[in-house]
Amino acid sequence: MKTTLMAVKPIAEKDNAVSDTILKPVFNAGKSIEVENVTVSFKTPKGVYTAVKDISLSVKKGEIVCLIGHSGCGKSTLMGTISGMVKPTAGIVRANGNEVTKPGTDRGIVFQNYSLLPWLTVYQNIYEAVDSAIKYKTTAEKKELVLNNLKMVKLWEHKDKLPGQLSGGMKQRVAIARAFAINPSILLLDEPFGALDALTKSSMHVELLKLWNLDNREKTIVMVTHDIEEAIFLSDRVVVMNNGPEATIREIVDVPLPRPRNKKEIVHDETYMAIHDKLLNLLIDKFSIDDIN
Amino acid sequence: MKKIFTLKTLLSVVYFAAGLALVGGIWELISYYTKNEIPNPRMTWITFKEVMQNPMQDEPDIKGIGTKLLSSLKRVGIGFGLGSLIAIPLGLLMGSSKTLMAIINPVVQILRPVSPLAWFPLGLAIFKDSPAASIFMIFICSLWPTVINTAFGVSAIPQDHKNVGKAFGFSRWKYLTKIMLPFTLPHILTGLRLAIGVAWMVIVAGEMLSGGMGLGYFVWEEGFNGGNVGKIIVAIIIIGIVGLILDKIFMALQKKFSYAV
Repeated sequence: MKTTLMAVKPIAEKDNAVSDTILKPVFNAGKSIEVENVTVSFKTPKGVYTAVKDISLSVKKGEIVCLIGHSGCGKSTLMGTISGMVKPTAGIVRANGNEVTKPGTDRGIVFQNYSLLPWLTVYQNIYEAVDSAIKYKTTAEKKELVLNNLKMVKLWEHKDKLPGQLSGGMKQRVAIARAFAINPSILLLDEPFGALDALTKSSMHVELLKLWNLDNREKTIVMVTHDIEEAIFLSDRVVVMNNGPEATIREIVDVPLPRPRNKKEIVHDETYMAIHDKLLNLLIDKFSIDDIN
Repeated sequence: MKKIFTLKTLLSVVYFAAGLALVGGIWELISYYTKNEIPNPRMTWITFKEVMQNPMQDEPDIKGIGTKLLSSLKRVGIGFGLGSLIAIPLGLLMGSSKTLMAIINPVVQILRPVSPLAWFPLGLAIFKDSPAASIFMIFICSLWPTVINTAFGVSAIPQDHKNVGKAFGFSRWKYLTKIMLPFTLPHILTGLRLAIGVAWMVIVAGEMLSGGMGLGYFVWEEGFNGGNVGKIIVAIIIIGIVGLILDKIFMALQKKFSYAV
């Protein structure tokens, strides 16, 4: 009895290994990001602060998902667990079937405040990222990549400027070009357009979708925002979060609007208006000063 | 074409002249009341021209003021250069590691307030050679401002910049050369600017102790021991101007390597 057990056990372990490396990607085919029961707590001088609690979320390949909620509701923290910048206290996050333990170049990040290196030119900012993230290409191929991506965001003629000489919208286009240039399968955008004026913002939405289309809509995009219109225009699903601490997902709202979407027409669409109302209700419970008290 | 003769530059020239006139007036008064024990500006000007004759003379017994200045500058350059070569990497290490900071910082804080002159006898004991001892002294006093400012610069690297390195998988080398050094450079230059200021002050004192060469020796031997107060004043003015030039050079470097965010 004992010997059989001994004999069986290694095989069982081996089976597990096989299922991990071969079967898991098969089971997870089509799943780009999986967040399973993730809790994130921070130690603060005032005790433990739990930002998000027991969150589960699954994002399909090529899907655009927006995380929406009030300031400080843990949207960015949840995003951080996907990018690998934040370690979950409990639970597990998988990207492309692999457990996320640190930032990786399969996930391109666009930061809230652009995070361009101010001493490098536009060109160098993208080149250094490409040079680090893509190991198997020659220098000439890397330069080609930078060129293509700069042309895509129409910044080629500004390539020798320093970030300090660019407007906010241009800086964000550099940041987006940088994230696209390393050709990640997942794109994570943390309130990327928060600091832009409404007009620039609108054209950035279109630009983003254009880049996504050019890539055959194969990239998964997760974006943190607190702008309802932006969320509906871009996403397939909008994840509404409760207020923190211990934030959870309040509701996931589907956006079944056909693509390509037209900014001008979409606002008159009944489905759009229904979703807009629903999101507004989920996010705001006081609509006029009479509601206060 | 940039305008040079703006009202602002004209005013600063006027103020500079006013400052000179004020100092000159006080100087004249002191000369008058000390019965020219302290020579007045006009007499000092004559001494100055005398000193400036054949400044680059370099013979075993007679050395011109320029030769003396160069020998002082050379020692400062060697001591300061060696000090910076140690201080910058040390500061980078301290700034990047909390443990190293905790180990090295107390030592720096104890040694930093020590008068640089106190290191001179120690240098003499080590090297048995007074020029080497004064270089050693310059070396030691050039360390602290650069170490402290460099370490501060590294510890102030914004999380945003660090995140870029993480997100795009920068290697250690790329992080050092594309993020850490460019961000820290203005801080390093601040440290170097402070260090060169201290070094230039200390060399004069060091050369008074060591004797033989340099501007400090000129002040002490030919000026004080030779009973020529005019030479002391001339030397003070030269030392001041050279110090100002050194400071301006580092200020220009600081300006060049600062960047808009």
